[in-house]
Amino acid sequence: MHSCKSIRGILTLIALFLSLTLSTNSYSAVAVPDVNPSDAAAIDKAKQGMELFKANCTSCHAVDKKVVGPALAGVWDRWENSADIIAWVKNSQKLIASGHPYANKIFNEYNKSVMSAFPQLSDDQIINILTYVKAKSAGVALPFEAAPAPAAGTAPATSDKGSSDWYVYMLISFLLVLALLLFNVTSKLDKVIREKAGEKVEDVSLDKKIFNRKTFKVLLLIGSILLVFNIFNGAIDLGRSQGYEPDQPIKFSHALHVGQNKIECQYCHTAVEKSRHASIPGTQICMNCHKYVQQGPKYGKDEISKIYSYAGWDPDQQKFVKAPKNIEWVKIHNLPDHVYFNHSQHVKVGGVKCQTCHGKVEEYEVMKQFAPLSMGWCINCHRQTEVKFSENKYYSVFQKYQQELKKGTKAKVTVEDIGGTECQKCHY
Amino acid sequence: MSNKKYWTSLDELNETPQYKEQASKEFNYEVDTNEGEENGGTNRRDFLKAMGFSVSVAALASACKIPTNKAIPYTIDTRKAVPEVVPGVADYFASTFCDGCDYVSVLVKTREGRPIKIEGNADAPLTLGGTSARAQASVLNLYDVTRLATPTIKNKKSDWKTVDAEITNKLSAITQSGGKIALVTGTIASPITKKAIEKFVAKYPSTTVVSYDAISNYATRKANQISLGSAIIPSINFDKADVIVGFNADFLGTGISSIENAKKYIATRVPSKEHPQMSRHHQFQSTMSMTGASADYRYPVNPSEEKQALINLLAAIGGTVTGVKSLADAKTNEGIAKVAKELLATKGKSVVLSGTNDLDIQLLVNAINGILGNYGSTIDTANTYNLKSGNDEALATLANDLKSGSYKGIILLGSNPIYNTPYSDIFKEAIKKAELSVSTADRTDESAQFCQYVCPNSNYLESWDIISPKTGCYGFVQPTIVTLFDTRQAQESLMLWAGDTTPIGTFVQSEIAALTGGSYQPGVQSGFFSNVSSVGGPSANVAATIAAVKTSIVAPKGMEVYFYEKVSIGDGAHANNPFLQELPDPIAKVTWDNYVCIPYSYAKEKGLDVMPADKRVPVAKVTLNGKTIELPVVVQFGQATNTIAIALGYGRERAGRAGDMVGKNVYSFVKSNNGIAAYTLDGATLELTDKMYELGLNQTYHTLMEDNKLPGKKLRYRGMVVKETTLKDFQKNENAGNEDREKIKEELHSLYDAYTPNDYSQGHHWGMSVDLNACIGCGACVVACSVENNVPVVGRRQVYRSQEMHWLRIDRYYNGNPDNPDVSFQPMMCQHCNNAPCENVCPVNATNHSSDGLNQMAYNRCIGTRYCANNCPYKVRRFNWLDYQGTDSFGKFNDGKRSFTDTEAQSYMFEDLTRMVLNPDVVTRTRGVIEKCSFCVQRIQEGKLNAKKEGRTLKDGEVRTACQTACPTNALIFGDQNNKESVLAKTFDKSGRNYFIFEEQHFLPAVGYQVKVRNKAEEPVRGFIQNEEI
Repeated sequence: MHSCKSIRGILTLIALFLSLTLSTNSYSAVAVPDVNPSDAAAIDKAKQGMELFKANCTSCHAVDKKVVGPALAGVWDRWENSADIIAWVKNSQKLIASGHPYANKIFNEYNKSVMSAFPQLSDDQIINILTYVKAKSAGVALPFEAAPAPAAGTAPATSDKGSSDWYVYMLISFLLVLALLLFNVTSKLDKVIREKAGEKVEDVSLDKKIFNRKTFKVLLLIGSILLVFNIFNGAIDLGRSQGYEPDQPIKFSHALHVGQNKIECQYCHTAVEKSRHASIPGTQICMNCHKYVQQGPKYGKDEISKIYSYAGWDPDQQKFVKAPKNIEWVKIHNLPDHVYFNHSQHVKVGGVKCQTCHGKVEEYEVMKQFAPLSMGWCINCHRQTEVKFSENKYYSVFQKYQQELKKGTKAKVTVEDIGGTECQKCHY
Repeated sequence: MSNKKYWTSLDELNETPQYKEQASKEFNYEVDTNEGEENGGTNRRDFLKAMGFSVSVAALASACKIPTNKAIPYTIDTRKAVPEVVPGVADYFASTFCDGCDYVSVLVKTREGRPIKIEGNADAPLTLGGTSARAQASVLNLYDVTRLATPTIKNKKSDWKTVDAEITNKLSAITQSGGKIALVTGTIASPITKKAIEKFVAKYPSTTVVSYDAISNYATRKANQISLGSAIIPSINFDKADVIVGFNADFLGTGISSIENAKKYIATRVPSKEHPQMSRHHQFQSTMSMTGASADYRYPVNPSEEKQALINLLAAIGGTVTGVKSLADAKTNEGIAKVAKELLATKGKSVVLSGTNDLDIQLLVNAINGILGNYGSTIDTANTYNLKSGNDEALATLANDLKSGSYKGIILLGSNPIYNTPYSDIFKEAIKKAELSVSTADRTDESAQFCQYVCPNSNYLESWDIISPKTGCYGFVQPTIVTLFDTRQAQESLMLWAGDTTPIGTFVQSEIAALTGGSYQPGVQSGFFSNVSSVGGPSANVAATIAAVKTSIVAPKGMEVYFYEKVSIGDGAHANNPFLQELPDPIAKVTWDNYVCIPYSYAKEKGLDVMPADKRVPVAKVTLNGKTIELPVVVQFGQATNTIAIALGYGRERAGRAGDMVGKNVYSFVKSNNGIAAYTLDGATLELTDKMYELGLNQTYHTLMEDNKLPGKKLRYRGMVVKETTLKDFQKNENAGNEDREKIKEELHSLYDAYTPNDYSQGHHWGMSVDLNACIGCGACVVACSVENNVPVVGRRQVYRSQEMHWLRIDRYYNGNPDNPDVSFQPMMCQHCNNAPCENVCPVNATNHSSDGLNQMAYNRCIGTRYCANNCPYKVRRFNWLDYQGTDSFGKFNDGKRSFTDTEAQSYMFEDLTRMVLNPDVVTRTRGVIEKCSFCVQRIQEGKLNAKKEGRTLKDGEVRTACQTACPTNALIFGDQNNKESVLAKTFDKSGRNYFIFEEQHFLPAVGYQVKVRNKAEEPVRGFIQNEEI
């Protein structure tokens, strides 16, 4: 009985461990909200409204919260005549000048801050915006506002391959061996019981059937080869962290900024064409937009207020009141010290797209390491990539290649051809 | 030519068995670096234990977690006007380095706002882009952990408010009670300091300002007061001189504004096919100086003979002077006659100068120059120096007054009189007794430790200032970083105490604006302002000068002592800079020490058993003025008989970890000669003790001159390392001294016939040319290389073990008569051989060749077999025996002191603060790998990238290595051999002087050398004593 208990204990432990391991390996699932099968035309209007709202209104207004201007939920109830709202949006100052009582009231309530005029918006468009706001405030699930799909499809198949892989294999093989052993034990016990009962039983033990010498040797050989192979690969992977996706001090979303708002990479990563570093923007760059954009679609004011505290910005006074502090981002792309990498060489000279090494960043909700950043990965690209030989005058020093290209005896010059795989191009 | 024998040490000269043994080895060490094995070394069990431990530690360390790194953005406070910084791109700020004697216009390279390198400012007048070793190393002074972080009161931390309040109270009290205040400073070359002092004196009129130089040139000023009517130090136009005669004048090394003078000197010292002319340089010297090494003729004279030699020379050129008497040495007498003849033939185009701080000697020099009509041409008395403006007499008077206790307040404005004056005890007593004692030293130095208040001055890289080295010439100092600590510029402190609260930045900016007219910004951006007058000024009154000379000479008693200054350490102010401590002396090639230099004749006569080959030298007891000090003995060729020489600037006690207790302090032996400091003594005795000293010497090994061990065979001598000729021969034949090269080229054979030559038919093929004529041996390149490439400082003990890490060294060779040999300097770095012997022996292909001709070293691939170093014929590969920079230490062992447990070795650049100086574009190497010169590959890559970004070809001279930019004499030229228009390709292809070391071995090096040409009419003395008993 004792042995039985301990075996059960071991099995429980293994199961626990396995579940833990597997759970750490799995990526957090993203909930996809249900789409309400409602009126397609209304949805379309609300969608147009949302687009207009985001383009024109969000810098001062939110649906449920007071930002620079009042919360828009219920605005249709606050105005007696909804036609006045349209007049207000188109030119609020004109309405105030006409002596409209509510217009004057709200103007005075907000310290006489002038709302920009939007004469370019048609009545329908304004109605659409309000439709959208109303739907939002009522909590209607809008299909077009579903959370952006996770970048699962774009993530490389290899991204899951980390240092955890090999010990899962080892565990499985260990469990297999254990299962076999246990099977062996139970069958022997079974045999004993049946023998005690007077039955004459053939030996069903696996000893002879499976573990005869030849099979065992072959198995052992295959096993040890697998083990060495896995240990070797595991050891190589120790310093690698492809797919690394750490939590950051601010939940910054590239999907929102790059994917949705179409901000160029260089707007924030200013040094990418000038320096070895792409450079991570300081709060001074964040604040170019976030002086005005005070609320995000997902986390509201929470994350943006973190920027304010780092930047020393007081949103009430609308000015910098303290010296800025550094946002200590968790570094994702870690190259060893003995590797020299220069962004400007690759982006400015080589014309390599950011996405080539960083993946579809415009779809990343959380930034992660796309490429393995291994030497093999670097070298492979250097072997295959063609140098912009005829475009850049610098390469005129390679007279022989130039002639060969002209003659047509050489189809293309790769980075490797001009010494791009030599040690001291990256290690010094 | 090949029969000429060159040697680097006494042992090599005499080919002693020790030398032969040592020359046959690549690695010259006996002491194992493994700790804890005094008794018989590691056994198998220990090895297994260590192995097991390290494997498990490695496994644990790697299995736990990959460390989380932080990515810190470059955040800018938009409320302030901050210059734009692109992270990863260096910015350069013009500034000025000046230590009272050395003046260099510099560009400070900063990365992400922190200074990491000093470059020369090529646009600036005077230094024209040249730098000195001290200027190169000065960037590390900023990150010195010994610097005070706050002001102190009685050596306890305090703050500026308290300190200022207490000091001003005491100053007022002293002034009101009629007490006197002494303001003791070094040379004041800054108009800002002058104005600050004026303000201070206006507020506290009982202040006496005394400025002195630790190593003084006061006699020059005093002599000029007599000869010219004003106490000036004139500019010397070496470029206009056909004949230069120096008497103990180290104008290239430790003299006033040596970089400016080196630039001018070298202008006429490098002959070419088009201009096969050189100036001639004679040097009369007591010990071999760096300047003497560059001279064509040298004459050893004892310090006491210098005056006699000058009297004789004055008489020989027609001066009416009494006291003419032949010197003991016939060759020197012949020399004086020869020099006189040459001087008379080049009247107005010659210059005679002396570095000796003696009034009579300086007067004699003035008289000679006056007779020769050199004033107004080679000697410019219109543009005079503000450097070395100390007053010895004032210091002597002050010392006298201090003794009587007449000063109630003592303020040391950057001066350290307890260390660097002979009045050490007087100052100590006076400071202890004074009602108020203040020092503005940046650390608690020898003097500051006794002061009540220490108000730390900021480093020059954190300061605003103006330096005026010469009349009409200004160098601007601007901060390149905010003050690292709570320090304040000394000038600002003085102004505050005087009641002027103008911030120093505002004050300096307004002064610069007033000087340059308009805004201060253009001035600060260029770093200089020049408004010099044309050459001219008054000439010496010869009659009055000669009349003032006391021609009587007191015969010296016993042995004479000559105190000199080393190029690296100077007066000792920068003693805590490990780069400078580890820079070998240009001549003695000794690091981290001062020592007694004894002449070769003395060693021979006394039968001294001096064996520098194993670097263990005897310790001598030197008795001077009744006081005895013990110092190691070094034989110095070319030193005058009966003279010993000892360097000043050593023996600091409160400099910091690197500088403390290095060598011995001999300032106390500087005597006063009628109020003028005399750096010579007589009546010394030298007595050898039984003690032996392990000297941090680094020239006796890494020799190129001998073949490595050929069993059972005599050492084969290689004479083709240094090639030299005379100007006479060069004028006849451009290939003089290099005639064998044609034959070598014809008979070229290779040990590596199977080796396919690299294809350099396209792209770049980097190379370097080194001009042996231009190299003056100053060592600026060595320090520049170390700073640029993160080359670690290893300390005296490791240098003794021959484990120094310098990628670039300057080999110093002697040839000729050991009593007075010729000297050659040869910068030696990786030759980037096309057929590199090192590459063939690496078992892991960690060193290999690139398509642009670089011998690459992949550190992370190296497994440390050292086969490559063993196979390198140039001995330029260095092995990291220890983890000098803490590159691969685990966190908790990083205790800020050292990165290894070897108790004998020291680590010097290990603290977080000092590591700020590291170049972020170059990796630090871990223990157990080989490293060597990379031709500054990071600069090559940067240059290429800039060209690519702009879509243009790479221009010649665009990529400059660190050593090349540092060199004050353009001795090093880097370039692309494939670019036929480049200076380098032209030198290689067209110069008859060009040769490659060991060309006959077919290594095909990428570094060419230019034959040294000496301006000698006749063949130089080739007398050489072979295997003579000594």
